[in-house]
Amino acid sequence: MLEMKIKEKACRGCKLCLDVCPTECFIFNDETEKAEVSVLENCIACLSCDYICPSGAITHNNHHVVANFYRNIHFSQRMEKFL
Amino acid sequence: MDEILKKRRTLQETMNFMAALSAGIEPILGRGANSMTMSAGRSLGRKFSEGAQQTDDLMEAISEVRKILMKNHCLWGFEPFKPASQSEMITVNDKGQSEIQLVFRDCMIRQSLFRFGHPQEGSLCNMMYGFFAGALESIMGKNATLEIKHAGENACLKVLTVDG
Repeated sequence: MLEMKIKEKACRGCKLCLDVCPTECFIFNDETEKAEVSVLENCIACLSCDYICPSGAITHNNHHVVANFYRNIHFSQRMEKFL
Repeated sequence: MDEILKKRRTLQETMNFMAALSAGIEPILGRGANSMTMSAGRSLGRKFSEGAQQTDDLMEAISEVRKILMKNHCLWGFEPFKPASQSEMITVNDKGQSEIQLVFRDCMIRQSLFRFGHPQEGSLCNMMYGFFAGALESIMGKNATLEIKHAGENACLKVLTVDG
């Protein structure tokens, strides 16, 4: 099952993750002035928040990692007909 | 083994060339570049979906498109997505059109674009819009659009809209 964590000490409260997330997974806690994961079920593992976070506070686990197709011999074999 | 490696290199070069071509034609043709790739995708969608099972059900049609892609060895895995706040997978917009969100994970185009740092949501991404439009035209006999809602590093979220 997909896991997403925000390191509380690393979060600067810049809200970039809230802006970039297309599925509104985050909320901003006004008291702590830090982002929090609100609806994990909404996460599509696009990893945009992970990449945009300036302090690298967001991490995902157990998510699908995109296949690097051109390094995959089996895939290259299947694509033969297009070449 | 050498033959496979040769094919792999050819494939890599072809995709990189396509990504460079896509990035190159956009400044010259402007919006015309999107129309070109959309049209190419639609032709491909129509061609691949010849003989596909006809249906009026959107979920069945999506499943049929997935089968078509797999049958033709296209690495474009996608799955329907429903936000937690939404009760139904398929919603109807104010124009009476059916809408469904799709998450695209493995994508040949995205991988090619990232290889040389080209931006996403360009003309090459529009090819998938054309493909769905062409395939659903054949399967459901209805017009369809596939709008990019979010282009991410590991997955993209798109909204498929089909005329009611």
